[in-house]
Amino acid sequence: MIRRAARSEHVSGWLFVLPAVALIGLFGIVPIIWGAILSLQQNDLLTPPKWVGLDNYRTLIHDPVFRASVHRTIVYTLLFVPISVGGALAIAILLNRRIRFSRFYRTAVFIPVATSTVATGIIFNWLLEPTYGVANYLLGQIGLGPYGYFQDPDQALYSIVAMTVWGWIGFDVIVYLAALQGVPEELVEAAKLDGAGRWAIFRNVVFPLLSPTTLFLVVWSTINALQVFDEIYVTTHGGPLQATTVMVYYLFNQAFELFHGGYAAAIAYVLFLMTLVLSVVQLWIGNRRVYYS
Amino acid sequence: MKRMVSLVLPLLVLLAAAASCGGGGSSNGVVNITVWHGYEDVEGKAINAAAKRFNDTHPKIHVTVQNYGNADYALQKVLTAIRGGAEPDIAYLYGSWAANIARSPAAVDLAPMIQSDPSIHWDDFWPAERQAVQVGPKIIGVPALVDNLALVYNKKLFDQAGIPYPSDNWTWDDFRAAAKKLTDPSSKQFGWAYVADGSEDTVWRFDALLWQAGGDILNSDNTKAEFNSPAGVKAATLLQQMATVDHSVYLDNGNGNYANLFNSGKIAMLFTGPWDLSSFTDVNYGVQILPGDLNHQTISGPDQWVMFDKGSAQKQAAWTFLKWFTSPQESLQWSLDTGDLPIRQSTTKLAQYSAYTKKYPGVGTFVVNLGNAAKARPVIPTYNEISQAMGQAIQAVLLGKAQPKQALDSAAQQVDSVLASGQ
Repeated sequence: MIRRAARSEHVSGWLFVLPAVALIGLFGIVPIIWGAILSLQQNDLLTPPKWVGLDNYRTLIHDPVFRASVHRTIVYTLLFVPISVGGALAIAILLNRRIRFSRFYRTAVFIPVATSTVATGIIFNWLLEPTYGVANYLLGQIGLGPYGYFQDPDQALYSIVAMTVWGWIGFDVIVYLAALQGVPEELVEAAKLDGAGRWAIFRNVVFPLLSPTTLFLVVWSTINALQVFDEIYVTTHGGPLQATTVMVYYLFNQAFELFHGGYAAAIAYVLFLMTLVLSVVQLWIGNRRVYYS
Repeated sequence: MKRMVSLVLPLLVLLAAAASCGGGGSSNGVVNITVWHGYEDVEGKAINAAAKRFNDTHPKIHVTVQNYGNADYALQKVLTAIRGGAEPDIAYLYGSWAANIARSPAAVDLAPMIQSDPSIHWDDFWPAERQAVQVGPKIIGVPALVDNLALVYNKKLFDQAGIPYPSDNWTWDDFRAAAKKLTDPSSKQFGWAYVADGSEDTVWRFDALLWQAGGDILNSDNTKAEFNSPAGVKAATLLQQMATVDHSVYLDNGNGNYANLFNSGKIAMLFTGPWDLSSFTDVNYGVQILPGDLNHQTISGPDQWVMFDKGSAQKQAAWTFLKWFTSPQESLQWSLDTGDLPIRQSTTKLAQYSAYTKKYPGVGTFVVNLGNAAKARPVIPTYNEISQAMGQAIQAVLLGKAQPKQALDSAAQQVDSVLASGQ
């Protein structure tokens, strides 16, 4: 019995995936469990921790800065996801046509994705500098501005949206381009023969065939948007006046600037639950509407 | 099942070993120690040269210096490293973190070593430096840097505007009026610059103004906020008037643009320290003590080398290095290389000291200004929270989003509740 089990494909299969399982377990599962334990402690990361049960979560509910950070995270996500996914679809359709230099344009669109976010941040710091920056100079030439961008509490979050859309849209474009190549020519031809115009073809043939891709991009972008951090860390540091303190930035502030490790872990868990619920809802809605050929 | 365990275990051990392999240890009787720092450019070259000098003269010890990036975030990096068991032997940390790092069991209390080894000549360090590393009975580091804020000004811009250079009895009014005259919106020139990101950089410049007006950050037993006193409101009002009425202040968003702008002649005056002087290569600048109100106090920001416990041989080697690196002779070499102020009082009495004041015009004023550094920021573990609350208030005032009294009162309320809960 044992011998048969040992010889079966299960064992060799497990052996093949073992390195990956061990790595994911060590750097994925263990921190998740440890984070849950941490969220039930008062832990300054320096001295021995103290058990506080659900106190961290109770404090969170009444913390006005946390509530504001949740609000900002949602506003950011609601702007970032539709703009980047919708914009990417438009750009992909433009680039999918036979035009001169299309390879050049495709490369150009993708370059920001390959650029490190730190470099992107430093460049935008100078571009959007209110007094000496290029953006205000150019807008000034046509009679607009000057704007405060990262230094104006009312504009900072929107400036971050603009910067991150620029930085990440290339990825969505490439995925959409690949999907557009997969749209069967004969379906488009058939629709044309039936007298469908360009918009009708897009609306009734192309867009439904792209729906699995759209679903993937929406879920993936949402998860990323909820966790936005790097770009804020290198530009506004959560400011001015906490205008860009999103959930992960507040988590960072609590954990590594104020040394409230347990409290920060509780924030991480709330974020985790938000992400989980949103993803499940998106997939559930998506699966009822997505067309898999 | 057994088989799998026997496969997984070695793998885990391997991974753990790979993770903890962060240099250090000894081989062939040579003790290897690692020093983490955030020095760039000129200072980066200087510390590499110093490490080489040390290694050349100490065959039994090998020092490796590593740059950890921006020193503003060094504490996080060091704490993460401690968690992973990969901390360095020595790390450069800001003075404002002394009380935090002192709570970590990994940080070495140097008091016994200082007591048993008089060759460190502890009393030779400046008083402000010794105050900053003293956390209760513990001494948490060896002074790495002492500085203070003075008024650095562009002589050419003063000449062009026909204004006499700042004097050592300038009042806030003199300062404000000059800043206004030195501002020219058409050429995007500002009289003054202020770091307005709400960080400690924002706060400590305010502290100097607060002390000049006779105020203080906390009460004497650190149980209640006092920065919202009339003195605090007066200091914040000066900032408000200059930033939102005169528009004579360039608000830096924390990325250090102010230094480049001063060097290209766009900003006439800065409250800054000697660390910036070496980057002002394109302008003819002067240095004066800060303008004052009741007095001309400044703030000193001593930083320190903190040692981490990696066994007694490592500790001894790290101590040997720190003693050597902070000796009067090496301290002078460092000052000559970088322009930083000498960290020992006796350094100023060495024969070659005059070469330093000649090489860096203005540093003499900074050394004299150490005498104006009368008060220190509270050395308590909740300091970061106090700093954050004050920073938000000052930023709101500078951006014209709040009135001085209202902003400071609400920050004081936050600080009081932090001090009351003690965490």
